[in-house]
Amino acid sequence: MWFFPVFTGSQYTIFHNTLQYSLNRLHQQQGQKGVGNMWHERTRKILASTLAIALALSMLGLGGCGPADEPDDEDEDVARTETVKIGVHTSLTGGLADYGFAAAEALKIAAEDFSGFEVDGVVYDIELVIRDDKGEPAEAPVVAQQLIDEGVVGVIGTLTSGAANAALPIYQGAGIPMISGSATAPDLTEQGYENFFRTCLRDDVQGEALGLWAAELGAERAVVMDDRGDYSVALGNEVEQTLEAEGVEVLRQSGQEGDVDFSAQVSSMMAFDPDVVIFTGYHREAGLLFKQLREAGSDAQFMGGDGIKSNEIAEGAGGAENVEGTYSTFGGFAQEGMPGYTEFAARFEQETGVEAGPYAENNYDALGALVEAITTAGSFDGADIIDALHEITYAGVQGTLSFDEKGDVSVPGGAGTDLIPRFQFSDGNWEFIG
Amino acid sequence: MAAITARISSFFGRVPRWVYIVAVLAFAIAFPMLEYFGLMQTLWLRVGTRALVYVLLAVGLNLVLGETGLLHLGYVAFFAVGAYTTAILSSPRFDIQWNFWVIIAIAMGLAMLFGFLIGVPTLRLRGDYLAIVTLAFGEITRMTLNNWEGLTNGPGGIPGIYPPQIFGWTVDSPAEFFYLLLVTVVIVVWLLNNLKNSRIGRAWNALREDEIAAHHAGVGPTRAKMLAVVMSSGIAGLAGAIFAYYQQFINPTYFLFMQSVIVVSMVVIGGMGSIPGAILGAVVLDTTPEIIRQTFTSWLPAAIGPDFLPGVQAAMQTEFDRYRMAIFGLVIVLMVVFRPEGLLPNKLWRREMHEEDPRELEKTGQHLFDFEEGTQDLEV
Repeated sequence: MWFFPVFTGSQYTIFHNTLQYSLNRLHQQQGQKGVGNMWHERTRKILASTLAIALALSMLGLGGCGPADEPDDEDEDVARTETVKIGVHTSLTGGLADYGFAAAEALKIAAEDFSGFEVDGVVYDIELVIRDDKGEPAEAPVVAQQLIDEGVVGVIGTLTSGAANAALPIYQGAGIPMISGSATAPDLTEQGYENFFRTCLRDDVQGEALGLWAAELGAERAVVMDDRGDYSVALGNEVEQTLEAEGVEVLRQSGQEGDVDFSAQVSSMMAFDPDVVIFTGYHREAGLLFKQLREAGSDAQFMGGDGIKSNEIAEGAGGAENVEGTYSTFGGFAQEGMPGYTEFAARFEQETGVEAGPYAENNYDALGALVEAITTAGSFDGADIIDALHEITYAGVQGTLSFDEKGDVSVPGGAGTDLIPRFQFSDGNWEFIG
Repeated sequence: MAAITARISSFFGRVPRWVYIVAVLAFAIAFPMLEYFGLMQTLWLRVGTRALVYVLLAVGLNLVLGETGLLHLGYVAFFAVGAYTTAILSSPRFDIQWNFWVIIAIAMGLAMLFGFLIGVPTLRLRGDYLAIVTLAFGEITRMTLNNWEGLTNGPGGIPGIYPPQIFGWTVDSPAEFFYLLLVTVVIVVWLLNNLKNSRIGRAWNALREDEIAAHHAGVGPTRAKMLAVVMSSGIAGLAGAIFAYYQQFINPTYFLFMQSVIVVSMVVIGGMGSIPGAILGAVVLDTTPEIIRQTFTSWLPAAIGPDFLPGVQAAMQTEFDRYRMAIFGLVIVLMVVFRPEGLLPNKLWRREMHEEDPRELEKTGQHLFDFEEGTQDLEV
C-alpha cells in the first residue's frame, strides 16, 4: 500500500522554483551572451522541469512506504516458504560486461529452477543479490562486504581472477563459501583458502592440453605469444613449459591487448621459422596477428586458447580464409559432450533473446552445486556448506561434478588435459573435433 | 535571496576554523564505532577506509597540482611503487615478512627517488609537455610491473600479503586499518598545512601564478618544483604501502592511467590548492558511486515497498546496479557546472573563477584579489 498526500502540486512548484532559481543564477554568472539567450531560456526550463519531476518522484517513492503484506501463515499444513539470499558477485560493467551478463542471466534461470528446496521441513526460495565490481580488483572487496552485509549464505563469483584474489580474504574471513564459474587463474586454489570452489577448469590444465596438442602435431619449433594480460600470460607460461618438456624449441613473444601492428613480432617469428604459432590472447589480436603472418609468407599451423574461440576472429583476419584451419582449445568441458547443454542453451535464448554466452553453464552449475550442498548439509552455516561442497557429487548441465580438496572441479572418468575439448575453424565457424 | 546566501556564507566564514577541524576529526574517530555498535554496515567502513587512501593521494597530488600548478598525470606510478614494495617484502611471493616501519621507509624512499629521477628531466618543461611526460612515466611504470615477472609475478599479481605488525599490534580488520590511515592522514595534513604557510609554500604559489615573475623575485623554480614533486611522490608511496596491506592483493590493473585521472579529478573537484578541498573531493568522489548504488538497490526499494508499481522494486534491486556510474557522471557534470571553482576552493581560486562577473563587483564592491583585512587566515 502506498498513498498520495506526500506528493502535491505545491511541492513540485517548490522544486521547480528552486532549480529555476539556481539555474538563473548560473546564467547570470555567465553574463549576457547575446545570441543564444532564447535557447538558454528553454534549456533551463526543460532541465529544471526534468530535475523537479525526478526529485518529486523520488520523494513520492520515499513517502510511499506503507506496511508490508501480512505473511500468509493461515495454512499451517502447507510447509512454510522462506527466502534465502545468495550473492552474485560479477562484472556487469567494464570490459567483461558481456561475460557478466551471461553469468547473471544464467543464474536467474538457475534461481528459478532451484527455488523450492527443503531444509529442515522448511521450503526455501532463492533471492539473488546481484552486484557489479566493474571487473576491477579495487572494487571487489567493497562488493564482497556489501554482499556479506546483505546476509547472503553463499556467493557465486567472481567473474575475473583478479577480483577473486582481492575478494577471497574477505569472504574467507566471513566464512562464506564462494563458487566461481569463470575465475581460471591457477593460484586461486593453491593458496589454501578453504571457501573457494570453481566449476571451470584451470588455465594450467588448458595450457598443458594446448602444449601437448602442438607436440602431437609433430611441431619442432613453436612460437608462444601472449598479450600481457593475466589470463594470457598464465596460459602462455603453461604452454611454454609443456612444449619445452616435450622437447620442442620455443620462441616466446608478447604483444599488448589493443595492438594492431605486430610487424616486429612477425619479423622475429619469420626469422625463427616456426611450425606452430600459439597465441594465448583474444580473438581480435589473434586475427590481426595471423593475417600479418600469412602476409609475411608463414605456413605455420595457428593455434590458441579459448580467447580466440570466437567467430569474430575472421573479421580481425580480414576474411575467414586467413584463419582457415586454426585450432583452439576451450577452458571448460566440451558443450557438445554435456548432457544438458542443448536444453540449457535453448532455454537461455528463450529467456534472454540472445545466445548463451561463455561460462553461462558454469555459473548455472555453480548455483546448483551450492543448493545441493546446502540441502546435503541441512544448514545455512558457512562451514557446514563448505564441508558439504567437498563431499557432494552434483549432476548439472556440464555433467556429474564434484570438487577436490582444493576446490577445483573434477568429473568421474576423466581428469586433467583429457577434459579439454578441441576445435577447428572452418568456413567461418568453430567446429568441435574431439 | 542573494542577501540570505551572503549572510549564510558570512556566518560559516565567521565560525573559527578549529571548530570545523574538531568536528571532522570527531566524526572520523567515531565512524568505526558506528559499525562496532551495529549502527552501520561494515560496507561503509570499507568504503571509508578506501576513501582515506584516496584522501592521502589527493592531498599529495594537491601539493603538485594545486599549490605548484604542475599538471602531473602519472601520479599513480608512485602509488604503485609503494604498493609493490609492501607486496614484495611482506608476502608469500618470496616468503619474507619485513618490519612495517622498514617497509614504509623503503616505500617512501623509493617513491621519492623515482620522483626525483622523473623530476630531473621533466621539471624544465611546462604545461602540456610536463603532462605528457608524466603520463608516459605512469605507463612505463605499469608496463614494467606487468612485464618484470621474476619480481612482480607480472599480470597475475601478488596475493596473500601479510598484515602489518605495528609494535606488536596486528592490523587486519577494516576498523584497525581505518584508524591507521586516519593517523597517517592527520600527520600528513598537519605537515602539509605547515609547509603551505611557510616560505616554500608561498614560493610554490608564486610559481603557480607566474613563474617568470617568481624567478625574478628570487624563487629558484627548478629547486622549488623538485621539492614539491619529491614530497608528493613520498606521500603516494606511503599511501600505496598501506593500501597493499589493506587490500592483501596487488596486480597491475590497480594502477591504470584512469587512476591518475581520478586523483586529478578529486583535486580539481575539491578545489585546487586547498587541503580541505582535496580531502572533501577524495571522499566525495570515492564514496558517491557506492552511495548511489545503495540508494537505488537497497534504500529506495525498501522505502517504496514491493507494491509500488509491480516489479519496480525488484527491477531496481537487480537492474540498477549497472547504471550507477552513469548517474555518478551526471553528478560530476552538475558539480562542475554549478561550482567550477571546486567544493571548498582556495580563496584566490574562487575569485579567479568569477572574475568576469561585473555584477559581483557591483554588489560586493571588491576587486579581484582584493583581500579583506584580517581574513587571510581563513583561506582554506
